[in-house]
Amino acid sequence: MEHFKIRDLSFSYSGNSEKKNLDKINLTINKGEFVIICGRTGSGKTTLLRHFKTALTPYGKRSGEVLFNGVELEKVGAGEQAAKIGYVMQNPDEQIVTDKVWHELAFGLESLGCEQKSMRSRVAEMACYFGIQDWFHKSTAELSGGQKQLLNLAGVMVMQPEALILDEPTAQLDPIAASDFLNTVRKINAELGITVVITEHRLEDIIPYCDRALVMENGKIIIDESPKGLGKLLQEKKSPMLYAMPAPMRIFCEADGRGECPLTVRQGRDWLGSELGDNPQIKELTEPEFNKEVKAPALSLKELWFRYEKDSPDILRGVSLNVPQGSISAIVGGNAAGKTTTLKAVCGICKPYRGKIKIFGKALNRYKYGELFNKCVSMLPQDPKSIFVKKSVREELYEMTNDSEKINETASLCGITELFERHPFDLSGGELQKAALAKILLSEPKLLLLDEPTKGMDAVFKKSFARILKKLKERGVTILIVSHDIEFLAEFADRISMFFDGGILTTDTPQGFFGQNSFYTTAASRMSRDIFKNAVTAENVAELYLKNKGNTYEKVR
Amino acid sequence: MKKSDKLLLAVFLVLIPVTLFIGGKLPGKGYYITGIAVITELCAPFFASFEKSKPQARELAVLAVMCALAVAGRIVIPIPHFKAVFALIMLTGISFGANAGFIVGAAAAFLSNFFYGQGAYMPWQMMAYGAGGMIAGFAFCNFKFPKKPWIMAVFGFFATVFWIGPLLDCSHMFLAMPEISLASLAASLASGFPVNISQGVCTAITMLVFGKPLIEKLDRIKLKYGISEAENGL
Amino acid sequence: MSERSIDNSMKQDAFSKYHPAVNLLFFAGAVCLGALFRHPAYLIAAMCSSLLYFFALNGLKALKTILVLLPTLIFITLINPLLNTRGNTVLFLIFKRPYTLEALIYGAVVACIFFITVIWVNCFGKLFTADRIICLFGNILPNLCLLLAASGRILPKLIENSKQIATARSSIGKGGEKEAIKDKLALRFKILSALTSVSLENSIVTGDSMKARGFAAGKRTSFKPYRMTYCDWLAAGIMTAMLAAVFGVLLGGFAYAEYFPGFGIAEMNGRNIAGVLIYSGYLLIPSALQIKEKIRWSISRYGI
Repeated sequence: MEHFKIRDLSFSYSGNSEKKNLDKINLTINKGEFVIICGRTGSGKTTLLRHFKTALTPYGKRSGEVLFNGVELEKVGAGEQAAKIGYVMQNPDEQIVTDKVWHELAFGLESLGCEQKSMRSRVAEMACYFGIQDWFHKSTAELSGGQKQLLNLAGVMVMQPEALILDEPTAQLDPIAASDFLNTVRKINAELGITVVITEHRLEDIIPYCDRALVMENGKIIIDESPKGLGKLLQEKKSPMLYAMPAPMRIFCEADGRGECPLTVRQGRDWLGSELGDNPQIKELTEPEFNKEVKAPALSLKELWFRYEKDSPDILRGVSLNVPQGSISAIVGGNAAGKTTTLKAVCGICKPYRGKIKIFGKALNRYKYGELFNKCVSMLPQDPKSIFVKKSVREELYEMTNDSEKINETASLCGITELFERHPFDLSGGELQKAALAKILLSEPKLLLLDEPTKGMDAVFKKSFARILKKLKERGVTILIVSHDIEFLAEFADRISMFFDGGILTTDTPQGFFGQNSFYTTAASRMSRDIFKNAVTAENVAELYLKNKGNTYEKVR
Repeated sequence: MKKSDKLLLAVFLVLIPVTLFIGGKLPGKGYYITGIAVITELCAPFFASFEKSKPQARELAVLAVMCALAVAGRIVIPIPHFKAVFALIMLTGISFGANAGFIVGAAAAFLSNFFYGQGAYMPWQMMAYGAGGMIAGFAFCNFKFPKKPWIMAVFGFFATVFWIGPLLDCSHMFLAMPEISLASLAASLASGFPVNISQGVCTAITMLVFGKPLIEKLDRIKLKYGISEAENGL
Repeated sequence: MSERSIDNSMKQDAFSKYHPAVNLLFFAGAVCLGALFRHPAYLIAAMCSSLLYFFALNGLKALKTILVLLPTLIFITLINPLLNTRGNTVLFLIFKRPYTLEALIYGAVVACIFFITVIWVNCFGKLFTADRIICLFGNILPNLCLLLAASGRILPKLIENSKQIATARSSIGKGGEKEAIKDKLALRFKILSALTSVSLENSIVTGDSMKARGFAAGKRTSFKPYRMTYCDWLAAGIMTAMLAAVFGVLLGGFAYAEYFPGFGIAEMNGRNIAGVLIYSGYLLIPSALQIKEKIRWSISRYGI
């Protein structure tokens, strides 16, 4: 049965009527379907999703129609729409309206004028289904990001919707919380038969389970296909979106595999095994040497101990780390483990009560005020919004320096020259990150600290971001990244350190590090570990596969 | 006559005189109770009209931000004795009108009592903060004072020293003074005067530095998301 | 001033487990009566019971609050004779005005009332979180209560954000640590400005989230996580009866207390003894509940 039907929908935001944000969209979504919409930032995904609900439809020029259960959406009452079409957005924090978990759960029902008794039983039901009962009376401010997003989902589900529209719901979550969230969505779809339309950057957790995947480009739907056929189509169209697909699919496509496209790690392993057998001729690529000894490190931490309050537990318990000059080094590890605190300690924002920090061979406390941040150290905080204080990107950049030549040069390096007149907050997540990077680069740091730089970035943006980092590296800038994004680090970092239990546990090359781990590692490594050694990225695996098959590997993009 | 006007008249002509009459008969410090009752009655029409006005979701969300900002000002600007709260409330009034100004002021007073610890002065604070937002709304929206930084600064100073400050100070008379009289009123006002001057200066500085940017920001939000016009267009 | 989160982590308190309406009734009654009585016996009853509950809620920290209040109390006592020259017994002349014993004593009475009010309001604040008030008025003032709930949600986030921005400024060397007060103020305004931009921007998402969940789609109801149980009704009934009795004594003029020109204080006859007893009984309800619960718990735990 048709649940949503979109006919010839075109839309452009008022102002630039030239550019169509949605261009003749035709789409039918059946009841109970699980549909993923992928596409680059700015391809019109969010604009399309917002047309699934009148209350959220953007203002602008529109033609065409949206039918819900065969009725024109605008003619469906606001209350009915609120109840039947659930919508969850990207930012877990901002969607929460009230200060208490119970109140947030009940918010939708309150708006619908639900009576006390049925409100109680519905809220109770939802709290149990989502496992919220333990934090039912908590303040919403105390919740973790994952819990917040789960609460947002529950707050929508409590109205018993027929369809769920999810707009990049896990963009701001760490990997564990994200996959929990997506599993819940899957469960809702499978157990309750609720239609799900979702846009996502993290595709490996859901692509295997969806019914259809749509790919959007420039406001058009260019592909509407089952996940199995998706990879080949993307490859045919030479779409950069292939890069965002799960590793098994990418390897299959890049290696030009035959047969059915694998979607999960298990399927991928089976496919690889059936193609190559257990013991292929070439088992590993030449791997870069790992030097344990670091001579004249850019940054050296020795036995740092730190806690925030006098009576609070220690966050850093003997952190030691050497970062070689001109390298891209990374620290990975669990949430709230102290990774960010380590970066803050390097900036002198947190003062360890024991231990030594040396930056370019000079102890941190010997740097004079202002000297540290002038052509020496700079940090990109986790939320790039927090370093913006002005009205336009141009003003932001001029806050750092008056040298317009330098500004232009940095801006073109970061690819933000076209964004100069924009308000920082009108930028997309990736653009914001680049603008923030440009701003901090203006102080010409030799040591650059990045805190979760790829959060909320799409796969293509990540690649161009990595290109900037590589250019910086060529110029001799030392980069230290703190991140959860192991797929990104496996590809672009030189050294990876594991942060655990208040200290740095191990440091190794990505190949060494992820090759040894069996859980905390990339999908490509998990897929190929029985067959290849130390192949940690999709490219590695594809290259090895082709070499074994006697073909040469050429990098596709 | 509109329903809200009728309510206003009813409050002023009937409810408050009756409360004062009954309050006058109460023994002891009955005037503390009477004072709270009268303040509640004064606030009632504003609250009622806020409920009637059916604010849109985005407007309510923006007002909530302004209210939280007013409360958090003390922590964001951790400079002793520097209070930006009056300026923030007045700016809300300037940008959103007298009624919204009152609501945000009263809500900010309420919330800061819960946030920083409860005080017996809460009703007076709600009234005074609200009145501050209201008068700014009247001056700049209804009487069209030009929204220039220095005008807002001068206005902010006088409104703090001669309007919000005294309203706050008269709570001392109700709470700590032995009786309602001109002498005790004068004593209450005089004791609060120096503080009011210093807060007036803070308000003026905040208006001067932050007034224009904040109004621009609010205008930007209103424009970008069509807070006042958009919903009608749907 | 110590900053306190909206939901203060309070010690287990028996009275707070009752419905907020019952709590509110109690405090309204206590504050009203506290302000109206001038008779020493009633004052002492109120002082003792309010203090008892205050200590029960705060432990020894209560002592600090009381010490802070002490100078104000003395000030109120001493200032009254300066404003008020009535009274027969002149102690001495000051500014050519008589300073009378009656006015001094009355000053002490006013100070007492002030003290009682402040302590009750403090207890009230300890017991009442903003969400309990919101729950009470949610049906009458839905929009205002939602505004308060939303502000209460944003407030901790704002404070967190402001710290983040301050850190971010420091991490690019614009933290302005060792600067003059003027520059510090300028920096703080910059932070406030950035904070405002971020929060206003975020508020739009919040607004959308409200709309998406049907805000303004119809008449609002309000969810009440608390229910009036049999115990609540019983407590409310008992309290109302006691309040009625005490108000009867008060408004009947039996507990009169005049301080001017000379002392004229009602003697402790049967009515007043009963009045004081009922009054104390009323005010001791929360403390008694707490003690009762403690005893009950130890009985059930240790089987004493």
